Amino acid sequence: MMPRRVSLSLSLLALLLVGAGVAAGQARAAATPLVVDAALDREVVAPLLDAFRAAHPEIALDFRDRSTLEVDALVAEADPAPDVVISSAMPWQMARVNQGHARRLDSPAARRWPAWAKWRDEVFGFTFEPIVMAYRLDLSRHMMPPQTHADLHTLLTTERDMLDGRVTTYSPLKSGVGYTLYQQDARYTPRFWDLVAGMGRVDAQLEGSTRAMLEGLSDGRYWLGYNLLGSYAMVWAQEHPEVIVQVPRDYSLVMMRMAFIHRDAPHPAAAEAFVDFLLGREGQRVLAGQTPLFSVRPDIVGPYTAARLRDQVGERLFPIPLNASLLAFVDPQRRAAFLERWRREFRRDVTK
Amino acid sequence: MIEVAGSLKRRLAVWLLVTVTGLGALLMIEAWVSSQRAAERAYDSQLEAAALTIAEAVQWEQGEPLIEVPAAALQILATRHQERVFYAVLDADGEAVSANLPFAIEPGWRERAAAEPLALTARLDGEAWRLYGREVDSAGWVSQEPVQVWVGHTRAGRMALADELFERTLTRFVAMVLLAGVLMALALRVALGPMRRLRRVLRRRDADDMRPLDARVPEEMRELAQTLDHLFARQRQSREALLRFTADASHQLKTPLAGLQSVSELALASEEPAEWRAALSAVHEGAGRTSRLAGQLLSLARLRHLGEAEAEAVAPLDLAAALRETLLDWAGREAARDHDLGLAELPAGPVWVRAEGWAIRELLGNLIDNALRYTPPGSVITLGLERLGGLEVPKGLEGGDQDRERVDEVALFVEDDGPGVAEEVRERLLRPFERGGRQDTDGSGLGLSIVDSIARRLGGRLVLAAREPHGLVVRLHLPLCDPEEAP
Repeated sequence: MMPRRVSLSLSLLALLLVGAGVAAGQARAAATPLVVDAALDREVVAPLLDAFRAAHPEIALDFRDRSTLEVDALVAEADPAPDVVISSAMPWQMARVNQGHARRLDSPAARRWPAWAKWRDEVFGFTFEPIVMAYRLDLSRHMMPPQTHADLHTLLTTERDMLDGRVTTYSPLKSGVGYTLYQQDARYTPRFWDLVAGMGRVDAQLEGSTRAMLEGLSDGRYWLGYNLLGSYAMVWAQEHPEVIVQVPRDYSLVMMRMAFIHRDAPHPAAAEAFVDFLLGREGQRVLAGQTPLFSVRPDIVGPYTAARLRDQVGERLFPIPLNASLLAFVDPQRRAAFLERWRREFRRDVTK
Repeated sequence: MIEVAGSLKRRLAVWLLVTVTGLGALLMIEAWVSSQRAAERAYDSQLEAAALTIAEAVQWEQGEPLIEVPAAALQILATRHQERVFYAVLDADGEAVSANLPFAIEPGWRERAAAEPLALTARLDGEAWRLYGREVDSAGWVSQEPVQVWVGHTRAGRMALADELFERTLTRFVAMVLLAGVLMALALRVALGPMRRLRRVLRRRDADDMRPLDARVPEEMRELAQTLDHLFARQRQSREALLRFTADASHQLKTPLAGLQSVSELALASEEPAEWRAALSAVHEGAGRTSRLAGQLLSLARLRHLGEAEAEAVAPLDLAAALRETLLDWAGREAARDHDLGLAELPAGPVWVRAEGWAIRELLGNLIDNALRYTPPGSVITLGLERLGGLEVPKGLEGGDQDRERVDEVALFVEDDGPGVAEEVRERLLRPFERGGRQDTDGSGLGLSIVDSIARRLGGRLVLAAREPHGLVVRLHLPLCDPEEAP
């Protein structure tokens, strides 16, 4: 899958670069380069990038789509440093900010940004993505599709044979997002570990990305997916009718993509323009209207806004808090202990 | 001349300003330091709480400390100011068991934290951090070695709190100063009220109103009011004296002038050249007297005027020589023909006094003239000098006994064996136009007045005394001076 994606990305990149080059050539001879390292699918975010290029023809945007762990490593290692860093691995982003890798953004849009979605005015959660379950239509022919975490746990127990090898979820080891989601799940209830044990019983397949899970669902390899990024899943479900997205009815975590300007950004002005655009009315309107990333701003109207999602789903949305407690998730000992427990629980009933 | 040197209000305002600025600066320094300290205390307790929370989570597994950092501790550390946070758990060797930032905890800090919990400010990673460390005893199955928990955060919250506290103190202080300033201005206005009242009273007075003041004044202004009253009294006296003098002078001049007029009228009515001649000689004599009177008046007026002006430094003069000279002059005159004008034995050597020659001559002349005029022919008139040692006068205002200085005096006397003057009249003799009740002479009554004026000018005093068995002694006491002393 990776080679295909890379080639797709490259060709898209080439196309975009050509397009941008032409546009920039018409507008201005020398455009300011801007490097964005992002754990964010280019296809999903393309309308936003196009809107930014249209608004800022003087900036040559170089959007590099990477995995969360790559993005995190590059924050400290890349030379020259990227201008803007975007990632859904919230604890890692937070740790980088705490290490002093971020630069404060002082702009009207940044000041007006809701306090619960920013930290130190350095890092901003600019999307509002619910975490969902997804199932294949085949599943509903054999059993009641799960609507809550408890339903899922029950199914994993009662339909153990039917679901064997057909359940997929995030690998906490390979995916930062997955690890974060499990940590947050575990904070809410100790019964989460029963769920993990249930996953182990049906020999759940651990994937590194939502896209991989969705592809498995469409291929028919998987019937049921747990803890998928709602943003990707909803778009996928629109094009693949065999996949149904279920926002859990008990509680649904909400993840935010976090963006910050790198302290050593080679092009700080362009970086500020970019983040300002992300947080601004224009960027958020594109986010709400043309991407499934959901706008955080309450004053934006569109199909994908946090406000609308709340209206539809009710008070069951629990955003992962954007505060210092996230730092505990990346503590090596705590992470090691958590992963150890996860492995233990996953194998609890298998080894019996 | 009135010289306006500053204003009371401004002076008070300046003092107030200086006091307020000085005290205010001290107060503000104190406030700044204490708000810093209060902020440090407030946030240090957050660090302590976070450290305790982390210490609580330390557990031992197979002889190794194991720590699952509680998320709550991190939130306590971050505070609502969203500080950057640091935590580290160190084992007994100072090795980090768990740490989120690669800050090196210095061995010195570790030693101090082993003794008691330690808070310190350090510059790490280009930013100021407040660190807090404490040692935690922990009993495990294998190892019982202590671990140290270190936590820290950046200082934005502390600075914000300190600024806030300081700003509040500053606001209170400024409000207090403004209020005090307004109250002071009001108090000043009230306090200066009596001054304004006095000013109004003085302004309303007529130019020739010399009555004592009628005003209510506070204690501090009593002296001023009394001085003003004294001034008014003196002015009243001198004005009265002036009026009297003018009236007397006019009267005195009027009499001889009326005589001249009547004599000349009679002569004009006559056809006899002999009567003309007699009238002319009468007119001549009268004119002479009048002229002498006018001269005396002029000299008296001049002396009084000079007396007011700054007495200029005068060169020393040998009084004995001046006396001898004047006596010789007078002895040869027509007026002294019928009298025995003599000189008593003079002290040896010159007698130095500070006086102008003309003043002494005028003075002696008047005394001699008086003696000649008011004594019957054949009387003995004696002039002389007497050194008087040992008159003690206070040196300065703060006069104790030891502060008295001795001033040598000389007494110049003129004595006669005439009829003398009754004691009750003697006092009045010094006034102008006073003739001791004698109407039998053609004197003007100005002589002694002139002498008195000169005596005052020279810093001396005039004493009139009776002489036994009969006669009058006029003594003029003058201070002696050192001829070498520069004037």
